[in-house]
Amino acid sequence: MTKRRLVLPLLLALTLSLSLSARVTQKKPAPNLAGAWRNQYTPNLVDALGHEPPYTAYGAERWRTVDTSKDPTGFCLPPGPSRVLTSPFPFVIVQQEDRIALLFEYQTLWRMVYMDGRGHPADIADYPEFMGHSIGRWEGETLVVDTVGLNERSWLDTAGHEHSSKLHLTERFRKIAEDKIEWTATFEDPVFYSKPWSITRTFTRFDDDKDRIMPYTCTENNRDVDHLKPNQPNLNYKYQPEKN
Amino acid sequence: MRTPKLTLIAGLCFVAAFSVSLLGHHSFAAQYDRTKPITLKGTVTKVEWMNPHIYFYIDVKSDAGRTVNWAVEGGAPSMLYRAGWRIDSLKAGDEVTVDGWLAKDGTNLANMRTATLANGKTVFGASSGGDTK
Repeated sequence: MTKRRLVLPLLLALTLSLSLSARVTQKKPAPNLAGAWRNQYTPNLVDALGHEPPYTAYGAERWRTVDTSKDPTGFCLPPGPSRVLTSPFPFVIVQQEDRIALLFEYQTLWRMVYMDGRGHPADIADYPEFMGHSIGRWEGETLVVDTVGLNERSWLDTAGHEHSSKLHLTERFRKIAEDKIEWTATFEDPVFYSKPWSITRTFTRFDDDKDRIMPYTCTENNRDVDHLKPNQPNLNYKYQPEKN
Repeated sequence: MRTPKLTLIAGLCFVAAFSVSLLGHHSFAAQYDRTKPITLKGTVTKVEWMNPHIYFYIDVKSDAGRTVNWAVEGGAPSMLYRAGWRIDSLKAGDEVTVDGWLAKDGTNLANMRTATLANGKTVFGASSGGDTK
């Protein structure tokens, strides 16, 4: 009898303790970034940065002489992983635990962010991509996305800020309200820029209950390409490394 | 030979007002000249509601009666749709007055700032070369 009396409370205590311990070790669910979002159109990243980025001497000369008729997107080439997020077209985030997909209206492009703990492929530098290779992790409430493996054929913006294949892009996505994501993109590229620099933009909820993501097949009727003329707007730019 | 009936004004005011304007997928200034605004009045012959930007074509008559077909570039179809415009907002046969800017390459091409129908209604909103684009 005595033993039985003891067993029951012991079992209850054990169950309670296991249940509490499970609660303690249970992972807090990741913030839900899923849904459709509207970008903050930024054709010149200087508007977000407040000044010219910190060029290397080489980067400054490329900026001074850039010919905007050579903009890759004018020829319907992909805009790269950050410019697509400053374009005037909405995008969708599809979120799973092991991967996050970004689906863009602009040029009907996508990005895949691997969240399963893998690294970048060892041979990624041999196979550079327009949109790069992205891996992500959660730092508290912030999604941190690390992108390498970029070819140098995309521009960072319409104004003509360029980059090399050494570009390392770090993005931080943080939900600052139910209908807002703050996005910070940090550009590290020792060929074009003397130190890392960052811009911050805000995505707002895109109401695709009433609206929809639409097609953007850029080569459908790209008549512009036959009319482009050389245009170098920065020829008077003077490199001032000390102000970087 | 007489030129088509068009007004060509070197208006620096436009330069000041729209100096930062850019097309969605490439720089405005790589294709159009802000210092060369133009007004074209004519009959729509065709509308291409296609990516990356819509184009429409208008027959413009000169004072001498000669007809020249002009191409006019507008915004991206999805952007225009969201702004309330539809594929038939402008149709072949419509009389339209286009205010815009001339192409730099000297062809009969303009980028629209506004397109106004005969009844005074404007279509496709404001400039396709502006930040809304």
